[in-house]
Amino acid sequence: MNWIIAFPELVLTLCGLVILTVGVVQKKSTNPFAACSMLTIAAFAITGFLVTVSPDGSGYEHVFVNDGFARFMKVLSLIGGALATIMTLSYRGTSGGGRFELPVLILFSTIGTMLMASSDNMMTLFVGLELSSLAIYILCAFDRDSVVSSESGLKYFILGSLASGLLLYGISLTYGYGGTMEYGAIRTVLIQSGGASLGLMLGIVFLIAGLAFKLSAVPFHMWTPDVYQGAPTPVTAYLAGAPKIATFALILRIMAGPFGALAPQWQLLIEMISVLSMVFGSLAAIPQTNIKRLMAYSSIGHMGYALMGLAAATPGGIRGTLVYLTTYLFMNVGVFAGIAAMRRKGHETTDIADLSGLGRTSPGLALMMAIFMFSMLGMPPTAGFFGKLMVFSAAYGAGLYGLLAIGAITSAIGAYYYLRIVKVMYFDASAPAFDTRSPSLAFLSVSMGIVTALFVLVLGPVTSAAQAAASALIG
Amino acid sequence: MTSSAAIFAIAVLAPLGGSLIAGLFGRIIGDRPAQAITIGLMAAACASAIATLFSGVPQDMGTAVVSLGHWIDAGGFHANWSLRADMLSLSMVAMVTTISLCVHIYSVGYMNHEEMPTYRFFSYLSLFTFAMLMLVTSNDLIQLFFGWEGVGLVSYLLIGYWYDKPSAVAAAIKAFVVNRVADLFFLVGIALLFLQFGSVTYDNIFAVVPAQVGATYHLFGTDWPVFEVIGTLLFIGAMGKSAQLFLHTWLPDAMEGPTPVSALIHAATMVTAGVFLMARMSPLLEFAPGTKTLIVLIGGTTCFFAATVGLVQPDIKRTIAYSTCSQLGYMFMAAGVGVYQASIFHLTTHAFFKALLFLGAGSVIHAIHGEQDMFRMGGLWRKIPFTYAVMWIGSLALAGVFPFAGYWSKDGILEAMWAAQSGPATYGWAMGVVTAFITALYSWRLIFLVFHGTPRDAHLSEHAHEGGIAIVLPLGILGVGAVLAGVLLDRFYIGTAQAQFWQGSIVNGAGAAVMNRMEEVPGLIALAPSIAGLLGIAVAYLAYMARPELPASLARSLRPVYLFLLNKWYFDELYDVLFVRPYRALARILWKGADEGVVEQVPVGLARLTVGTAVQAARTQSGSIAIYAFTMLIGLVVLTTTLLFVH
Amino acid sequence: MTHDLGGVGLGPYLTVSAILLVLGVFGIFLNRKNIIIILMSMELILLSANLNFVAFSSALGDLSGQVFTLFVLTIAAAEAAIGLAIVTVFFRNRGSIQVEDVTMMKG
Repeated sequence: MNWIIAFPELVLTLCGLVILTVGVVQKKSTNPFAACSMLTIAAFAITGFLVTVSPDGSGYEHVFVNDGFARFMKVLSLIGGALATIMTLSYRGTSGGGRFELPVLILFSTIGTMLMASSDNMMTLFVGLELSSLAIYILCAFDRDSVVSSESGLKYFILGSLASGLLLYGISLTYGYGGTMEYGAIRTVLIQSGGASLGLMLGIVFLIAGLAFKLSAVPFHMWTPDVYQGAPTPVTAYLAGAPKIATFALILRIMAGPFGALAPQWQLLIEMISVLSMVFGSLAAIPQTNIKRLMAYSSIGHMGYALMGLAAATPGGIRGTLVYLTTYLFMNVGVFAGIAAMRRKGHETTDIADLSGLGRTSPGLALMMAIFMFSMLGMPPTAGFFGKLMVFSAAYGAGLYGLLAIGAITSAIGAYYYLRIVKVMYFDASAPAFDTRSPSLAFLSVSMGIVTALFVLVLGPVTSAAQAAASALIG
Repeated sequence: MTSSAAIFAIAVLAPLGGSLIAGLFGRIIGDRPAQAITIGLMAAACASAIATLFSGVPQDMGTAVVSLGHWIDAGGFHANWSLRADMLSLSMVAMVTTISLCVHIYSVGYMNHEEMPTYRFFSYLSLFTFAMLMLVTSNDLIQLFFGWEGVGLVSYLLIGYWYDKPSAVAAAIKAFVVNRVADLFFLVGIALLFLQFGSVTYDNIFAVVPAQVGATYHLFGTDWPVFEVIGTLLFIGAMGKSAQLFLHTWLPDAMEGPTPVSALIHAATMVTAGVFLMARMSPLLEFAPGTKTLIVLIGGTTCFFAATVGLVQPDIKRTIAYSTCSQLGYMFMAAGVGVYQASIFHLTTHAFFKALLFLGAGSVIHAIHGEQDMFRMGGLWRKIPFTYAVMWIGSLALAGVFPFAGYWSKDGILEAMWAAQSGPATYGWAMGVVTAFITALYSWRLIFLVFHGTPRDAHLSEHAHEGGIAIVLPLGILGVGAVLAGVLLDRFYIGTAQAQFWQGSIVNGAGAAVMNRMEEVPGLIALAPSIAGLLGIAVAYLAYMARPELPASLARSLRPVYLFLLNKWYFDELYDVLFVRPYRALARILWKGADEGVVEQVPVGLARLTVGTAVQAARTQSGSIAIYAFTMLIGLVVLTTTLLFVH
Repeated sequence: MTHDLGGVGLGPYLTVSAILLVLGVFGIFLNRKNIIIILMSMELILLSANLNFVAFSSALGDLSGQVFTLFVLTIAAAEAAIGLAIVTVFFRNRGSIQVEDVTMMKG
């Protein structure tokens, strides 16, 4: 039955609509924000449970598919959404307390990401992508009285629409020259015909371009720093996590599925994008003074490393990418929880210089940030190291030595700005202390810190889950 | 280990124990207990040494080796910790421990006005003694080198004991560096020995020496005899340690250390290590006639050079230091003609009277609260009569006046020089006699300037008084030695009983003839040193007592000569130009040019490049949507083109 | 069933849509006037893809292309609405909708 396979998504959509209604019909006096947030988190939790028990299968006439890979990615997306929602609990925009639309929008975006992970058809790809993106456009501009917030929303919207347009054009070409929009059917056609026509290849290029935009991979990355900087911090935290994971799910599914036979052709493109992302991400972060902007460039770099696993085009590579994404999610949420705690007298202060002397004024927060920084640069035994290790070894196994060398060099260059933050926190003269952290942020940073630092304990289960996902995808 | 071996081991190892306890725990247990422990252990060592020397050792031990443990076993190279007990080493051990004990006791009194705690000083003294004992009791060249370097190290520590004085620190470094240069040659010599003989143990080497007499090295187109090369290299090492000409520049500067240090290290023990080395390697040197000639020439020139410089020094300790340098030249001359017994004899007697002179000078310095310039002393004989008396005894021994110790040993050497009947040996004899004259001259110059006449600085001499029992007792012991050592030991060392005494620990090859001919020297020649000495005393009396204005007018009229002598024949300036300045320039070039210029620029340059690129990269984010969209388009075009080319 | 695409074949349709695509893309970064132009260009791009879908669907005889076009139209409408809302908020804060004025964040 179709709806059994899509049960989690249906439940989540229903919850979303219910929460929206709840928010709307509340009396004017009480702010429904807290209640809606809690309900959203509960909805995520329920959906997560439902995902893990959802059966394999294909539904809605090869539009929707559920397998081990989809489950893995959906769980990651839900975790990302839930953590971001927890972060919004502390959000105080320039216009006072949060509004209930915030968690609802996150919820809708997460539905989109889940759809992307389960797509078996170009149509679902586009619909899921657009659902996710549209919600995020609004989220970026959520802080209505802040110029930078509006500007970031506007920029993201314009460039995102451009990317969506290119993506759609690519889908149209693929559809035209492939004859169908279903992944399975395209795969069969390509295997039988033995090669791809020019139009199909062109379509693939446009597809990659559109998806690379969402991934913030060079040269489609230019929206990232401005949007990360301008958007409210919980939104940035969400933006850096779940949509990227979902887009990766999409790319992995497309490249391994229908276009798997064309691997030699698109492998070079992915390698190019990966190299450019790694290099640019590590270099451009060096002169940054705003920590959110720094995290944006760091994200670009990280996506480059994750793409290395895809460029390897082996099951080990996919597994490496999945582990990398897992560690990346936790690291990122942790860092942004720390960044969200950087408030002084109610105003957000996001300069790196504001972190000076944090080791003395707020040792707990500084310790967490230090853990995340070390994880980001790939220091054992933190989580980031294992992600990088798996991706690098996959690249080595596939013979991509040049890529590996560049990855190593850019890792070393990247260590500079991560360590600079640690240095500023511990060795510089103290800046005035931040406002006390709200409990949600404290919870997030501490829990993410523990997960990151002790990742080695869960490495085994995560790797085997990723392995299962990779096999489900390819095998 | 037999009991006599155990006693011998105590003689060598007790000072190490004292040094460790005083050094490591001195801060906890305090100065007085540290001094007591080191002196106590030193006394035990001295008693054990003398007991071993006298207790029938020649009969039942022979050249037995007391093994202490393994050290190096690397391929074909073996070296062990062991104590060689033959007469050469036993006599040295006894002498070293006695002098060291006297110095330890003396230091209690001399160093009791220090601000810093003195346990460090006593620890160093005992450590030095241990190293010296290791040197003389070594059974192979490696342990000897260990002791060699050890005494060099502790000498550095003791010269620079007052480490807040820049001149002391510089002197310590100078001593160490000059010795290092000599040690390089020494080490090459040891390496060649190992290559040639396959072992560094004495017995193994000496057994094979006669078989390899004709061996040569072929280098630079000519053949070099192996023994000559090795012998010369070893001798250069000895030159450094014993401050012979060209490698002597460190000895006068070493007077920056406290006076007990000068007495122990730079009179009796460390500087004599070079002479000891020559005696120890006598089985080898006897087959290297060229080296022996070199030794005679260097020794002879050194003894003359040092005496002339000592003649005009104003500092009391430096005068005695040059005297040491000069007397060492005598010892090397004797070794150079093959009469090692005489050089060891002179070494032993010299230890007594030179240590006595130094400690006496120290007593003077202590009495007038640190003044060392003789031209500011005077008229002290009434204030410190005991010191005055022992200074007379020491000077008489030094000048070689019958029957004091120096007479027997110095005359023995000069007789041997004459009896050798070769060009270099006669040159050495002449130098020796002239030097005997000058030696007496500057010794009594010292006595008259310091103790007689009117005090030139009345304030200093007013409160002069003898040091306590700690200072006086060692002076007494050494005085007795300076008087009696020669007359008692002459028979054993170079006289009729010398063969039974040495028991083959010193080998006289061709020089055996010289030993026998020593008795046949004509009477006038034999008396020449004594005559020269008495003449020197007379001239000194004339110049400094009867006509005190004479030296000054002589210095004025012969000013260039005076300056030449005062500036130590300009050796320091010469070395500065030849070695120090070029080396400094080279070091500066390597530092600024190579290290900072090239090596550091690699990471610095890379970092700068990265940052520059980074700034440019960040600038691409211009903020304009149009640019962003355009970039996306360009990216798309590039990807498409790539794909089309690959396809 | 295959239509004959009005007798002209597939080529012209693809050409037209390509031209529309190019016009849309260039319209985004070549205009100096205001952001509304950008919104219009964005619609052009989506329309070009739509044209492609319809043409291909007709040529292949597969209905899914036209079905998808309806999806896309809906999504494009939603997108346009959101875009205009964001532009309005931006104008409220910034006071201008010139493209050059959207450069507060850079570097």
